Amino acid sequence: MTIPGLLLALELSGHYDEELARRLQQRDERAMVDLYDRYGRLAWSVIVAIVRDASLAEDLVQETFLRVWTRIQFFEAGRGALGPWLLAIARNRAIDHIRSVRSRMDRGSVELDVASHPSLFVDMERDIFNTDHARLIGAAMKKLNANQQRVIELAYYEGLSQTEMAERMGQPLGTVKTWVRTALSTLRDHLGEAVR
Amino acid sequence: MTHEELREEYGAFALGVADEPARLEIAEHLGRQCEECTTAVRQALATVAVMSEAVATAEPPARLRRRILDMVRKDPKRNWALGLIPWAAAGILAVALVSVGLTGRVAQKDKDALARLEQALQVLNDPAAKDVAFGDPQASGRVLVSPSRGVVLIAAHLPKLQSDRIFQMWVIPTQGNPISAGTFLSEVDDTAVYVRRGTVAGAAAIAVTVEPSGGSAQPTTTPFIVTKL
Repeated sequence: MTIPGLLLALELSGHYDEELARRLQQRDERAMVDLYDRYGRLAWSVIVAIVRDASLAEDLVQETFLRVWTRIQFFEAGRGALGPWLLAIARNRAIDHIRSVRSRMDRGSVELDVASHPSLFVDMERDIFNTDHARLIGAAMKKLNANQQRVIELAYYEGLSQTEMAERMGQPLGTVKTWVRTALSTLRDHLGEAVR
Repeated sequence: MTHEELREEYGAFALGVADEPARLEIAEHLGRQCEECTTAVRQALATVAVMSEAVATAEPPARLRRRILDMVRKDPKRNWALGLIPWAAAGILAVALVSVGLTGRVAQKDKDALARLEQALQVLNDPAAKDVAFGDPQASGRVLVSPSRGVVLIAAHLPKLQSDRIFQMWVIPTQGNPISAGTFLSEVDDTAVYVRRGTVAGAAAIAVTVEPSGGSAQPTTTPFIVTKL
């Protein structure tokens, strides 16, 4: 993607997403393309990893960007973290879909709507998707033991509740909850200030 | 649940995998802007966000970029956001749904939107469904209720929400407390089409309130939409 001078300056100053969110709020169509150029590949990667169907993933990516477009007025451009919000919507769209396949759409849709409300993405690290963090999360994942990795995979890619994970793994619910909690704690510790 | 107990669940909540009652309790705490819960859930959501960078990178098809741009173009035949429901012209749900179907969304194969339309049509097609119009200074629209299939709400002129608020639908039974039928946000033109599947037996009314962003276990504000069935 080629970024013109002004946008490059904004990028370097860390305010690119803030300006992008304001342009979206002003219904600037070009801003949607810029948003896609910035986060489309990541959204696609997450969605296709969850649904494992390229045709369906296209629809869900489009739905993700539509949701941002239609809900951007609820987003605080000056304080919000646009990328994490969009990625939360993307993952939730994919998880909603696979849950609906499992006939649990009613429960899932409400739950995930709450967890991707724009108000939860304020005062978050703006430059959260950078190469340092990618390296850190990769290293942090390797620190998890096999059970912790498994519950993170079941949660992130399949959206299984902790009770469902316990059933799937044949383990007590309390044990699964401990694995989920310690796994996220380990990841958070390795990511440091980026997620505080 | 105490905060000590909820602390065990923030990560699961951020991943969308918390079980009840923790999920609902955390949502309620978020709704009333509990500082401890809000801070912890934001941190957990940031961790989940960074996890997306551990996902194997894949390259989307080139045509997808074009679809995104087409989606927001002002051409009304392609405008999803503003053309979602041509409410003023439609008048009745059937016309609205057909119009939406003709706006190009079928061509764009949006399975999710089609699924929602299909759900709405299932409610509409139920001979037992009740169709109630409502209108007041704050909102106007129509509620369709199928006792066995669910509820469809189509609304226009919805009030503007603050960033920490959300709409919540309630099924009001003939006896007992209101039952949550889920939360939703409006579109940029203050319209909404919300479908809630499931049985709605014994409902005396459908109501909508403005609630804190996490939703509420019971209404905390006066309903601005109440449709008696």
